[in-house]
Amino acid sequence: MLDLLQSLCDGVMFGATYALIGIGFTLVFGVMHKINMAYAAASVGAAYLGLIVFALGKGVPALAVFGAAFVAGGVLGFLVYVLAFHFIPLAYPLATLMSTVGMLLLIDEVIVHVTAGMPQNYPSLYDKMFDAGGFTVRGDLLMIAAVSVVCMLALLALLFRTRLGLATRAVSQQPIAAQLCGIQVARVNATTFIITGLLGGIAGALIGASVGTLSPLLTTPLTVKGLIVTVIGGLGSIPGAIVAGFLVGGLENVVQYWRGVTERDMYVMLLLFLFLVFRPGGLFGGAKGRD
Amino acid sequence: MRNSLLPLALALATTGVAAQEKTITIAGQGAKSGVVRSFGLNSEAALFAAADQINKSGGVTLADGSKAKLKVEYYDDRCNAEEGISVIRRIAGTDALIAVGPGCSNVAEPMFGILQKKAGDASDTGLQMPVFTDVAIKVGLAKISEWAFRNVPNEATMYGSVFGWLKTKYPDAKTIYGGVEEDFAHSRASWYAVMKEKASAEKYEVLGESKWLLADTNFSNQVREMKKANADVIAISAHPFTTCGVLKEMQRQGVKPKVLVGLTSSSSLETLQGCGAQAEGIIIPTSFAPVSKEGIAAAEATAKFNGSADLHSMAAWENMFILKQVIESQKISGDKAKVQEDRAKIREGLANLKTTNGLMGTVKRTDEREADKPYLFVHAKDNKWAVLHNPSGN
Repeated sequence: MLDLLQSLCDGVMFGATYALIGIGFTLVFGVMHKINMAYAAASVGAAYLGLIVFALGKGVPALAVFGAAFVAGGVLGFLVYVLAFHFIPLAYPLATLMSTVGMLLLIDEVIVHVTAGMPQNYPSLYDKMFDAGGFTVRGDLLMIAAVSVVCMLALLALLFRTRLGLATRAVSQQPIAAQLCGIQVARVNATTFIITGLLGGIAGALIGASVGTLSPLLTTPLTVKGLIVTVIGGLGSIPGAIVAGFLVGGLENVVQYWRGVTERDMYVMLLLFLFLVFRPGGLFGGAKGRD
Repeated sequence: MRNSLLPLALALATTGVAAQEKTITIAGQGAKSGVVRSFGLNSEAALFAAADQINKSGGVTLADGSKAKLKVEYYDDRCNAEEGISVIRRIAGTDALIAVGPGCSNVAEPMFGILQKKAGDASDTGLQMPVFTDVAIKVGLAKISEWAFRNVPNEATMYGSVFGWLKTKYPDAKTIYGGVEEDFAHSRASWYAVMKEKASAEKYEVLGESKWLLADTNFSNQVREMKKANADVIAISAHPFTTCGVLKEMQRQGVKPKVLVGLTSSSSLETLQGCGAQAEGIIIPTSFAPVSKEGIAAAEATAKFNGSADLHSMAAWENMFILKQVIESQKISGDKAKVQEDRAKIREGLANLKTTNGLMGTVKRTDEREADKPYLFVHAKDNKWAVLHNPSGN
């Protein structure tokens, strides 16, 4: 029983990494009603770019890597917006979907070419393990969970307590009306990408730290998990992405404990299928889609 | 005017042809993109470096006594079976004498399947293209086709030797537990068909195995299983990314076996770069370490082409020198119009080899077109691979 609980706890904690990616997916969808398929790849790319600070010399603190990843995430987010959204007609949903798939592959291949696919050691910010009578909790995963919640609160504050948030919500709800009111839609969209990019940089760095190693192998599973979390949480719902991240992480680890690794992803897909059939709006989404 | 220029043009063209060097094309095949890109880059660098060295010393002698330079063309198969098959078909359509590759066993297996099974069998329309594998290491693949040859180490022999040596070195170690990357052909085969069997043969009690997938990031369950098993020896049959993930999780959970054994492909720079500190002490058998004069020179030459020397890339290096020998002994014409005839001769020449010269000593060739290479054991020490033991005692 302890093993099962431990497995559940590990999975839920690890699900925080999915939640961080899910938040990025959901924020872009919430504002633009578009899926940015390149989000996880850009996050991993930002985490890689964070490692550049080590090239500055010995003795660079690990925190600097995370700071650099944060900034790099913002830059990459803006680049993704410019290359995959700005010049693409937004009225065609498939156009931006495919352009971001292209960006995903491009970022992935750039990482592979620059690093020759070699795994890169990633520093840990907080490696402490909490042990209580054989039951352990990883400190770094706890920190990721905390960061997810802080990000959620910060994003909600940004969306509901600032003029930028007001503009963002206006663009999200009625882009034409927002434009008529003098809001620069393109600027709001670009800002959204920069904000999600900054978040992605932190997410990528925290994921790198939690795995301990960065590899281009991370991009595809994180993209898939991020999308699953976004759908289960409810497209556009930031709290939903967090709860769904924990749910998916917990489920996959428990299934792995019971049924083995080869069946694990099958059950996660089954969960997604059940949501799509019985609750397509996700945990926090409305019963109906947008009109 | 036109008439007076024609003989001049013809003369110039003829002189140009005569002045052109004869070339023999060797096609390399491996992953140059995707997550195992480093395998392809290293093999490509080794092939170019070896060709450069051969060409600088005069090239290869053809049937008519003339000299030809070796030309390497490298093709990217992304470590993907379908692309690998497509690449070998493309290579067969060029003037390449032979293909060296592929890098991944999951490519080699189906790719060998489209080659003619028995050479000279007119009823078999399979591809008649000799392939001399440098990297794909999964046991027993060359027997699929008589056009397939490999210069990869025999993992069964190597791990048999590792566990035999461990038995004498750590007599107290009685039990073993495996960790296996379940969805990668080489890792899977190496645990189930090699490590597990060889450990049992040395009377180790196999307590079980934990499984994970190539792109997994969370290893908490698997390492907890390892911890519970409390085995004396833990053998990790996985590639560097997940090997590092598991080693880091083992560190977190405080799993410290008496002996840690790794997969041949992990004795590379990738593992050290990903988790040098956590890999400290891991023992891996390998068919290459820069210990001999030739080995050091080959590693240096490969580095000039931006490649790293390891058991895989140095097999590519060896392949080029073996091919030089066979091209000369089989009286290859080098005539592009007779390339299929030359391919058959190369195939026959490779099949007749009983031994070849390797960077670590003489390599025996088996009847199943596989290599029986000299090997030694290395371990990760201070973020480098250091020789731990040389079974041949040399």
